[in-house]
Amino acid sequence: MTLTLLEGALLVFVLACALGAAMLQDTLASVMSFAAYSLGVSIIWLILQAPDVGLTEAAVGAGIMTVLFLLALANTVSPDTDRLLEPVRWRSVLLVGAFVAVMGATVPALPAIGDPTAPVVGGEVTQYYLDNAYKQTDVKNAVTAVLAAYRGFDTLGEAVVVFSAGVVALSVLRREVFA
Amino acid sequence: MSADERPGLYVESTIIMTTVRVVAPFVLTFALFIMFHGADSPGGGFQGGVIAGSVVMMLAFAFGIESTQQWLDIRIVAALASGGVLVFAAIGLGAMALGGQFLQYTEYEPLLDHASKYGIELVELGIGGIVASVAIGLFFLLAAGFAHVAGEEQL
Repeated sequence: MTLTLLEGALLVFVLACALGAAMLQDTLASVMSFAAYSLGVSIIWLILQAPDVGLTEAAVGAGIMTVLFLLALANTVSPDTDRLLEPVRWRSVLLVGAFVAVMGATVPALPAIGDPTAPVVGGEVTQYYLDNAYKQTDVKNAVTAVLAAYRGFDTLGEAVVVFSAGVVALSVLRREVFA
Repeated sequence: MSADERPGLYVESTIIMTTVRVVAPFVLTFALFIMFHGADSPGGGFQGGVIAGSVVMMLAFAFGIESTQQWLDIRIVAALASGGVLVFAAIGLGAMALGGQFLQYTEYEPLLDHASKYGIELVELGIGGIVASVAIGLFFLLAAGFAHVAGEEQL
């Protein structure tokens, strides 16, 4: 596997931001690090030819989530910190390390990016969508065709999940209106 | 919640207000573009909705959360969320009423040319409405603080 300079730099940036989000003691710094992480990941999605996912990551992960985190922080009291980094708990490191090792073990099984022989490319379902999406649904973006037409029922469920999230937030905070 | 209780949350700045006033219409237009154009290019209701919601957050940063909340009728936000779900479900059930499957857009073809395309765009718009209003709603909810919840529990 070869990396271009941009990809390598982005991966290092994302890793550093993720570490920062986990390790920084100051919550505000941690939130900002998390936002930077999301922005880096969204650019990686773009490079991996997944602009739909990249847009979502940038708008939700880097945008809305950061704002909501900041608001939550503004409404809570954060303790004064004198240290830059959270003290390392070796048991957590062991646990996270084991998790990363398990996830990492699956990486060699993934096909190379853009590999024409990858199972999903030649798959019957993928091919059906690519061949028929425009004819059947009149939209040029195959992702949208799958999202709103072929898998429209699932998407209705997703939309209702977002709606329920709003309702649940209202009931948890014991409010009747969004105010 | 009065300003002196939470100092520093809102800073009145001419630079921010002017910038937001200029940028906001473009951001809202971009959000609608992402929603509508999601059919033919990357994007869609989820992404466009979040961007539309961020317009309100931008206004709140520039002009204060309180005044934005007063300016924006909160019933519209609630109506957008429920309306989005209703529009989505109505399009799906309408196709069934015309004798097809749930969300089978081609059933609308006799009534409207390119029914699939318009149906999908309407669904995206509905999703956008849900996502935007829930994002705005969560923003206002969090901004209002949790003092009232904590207060009730102490009673």
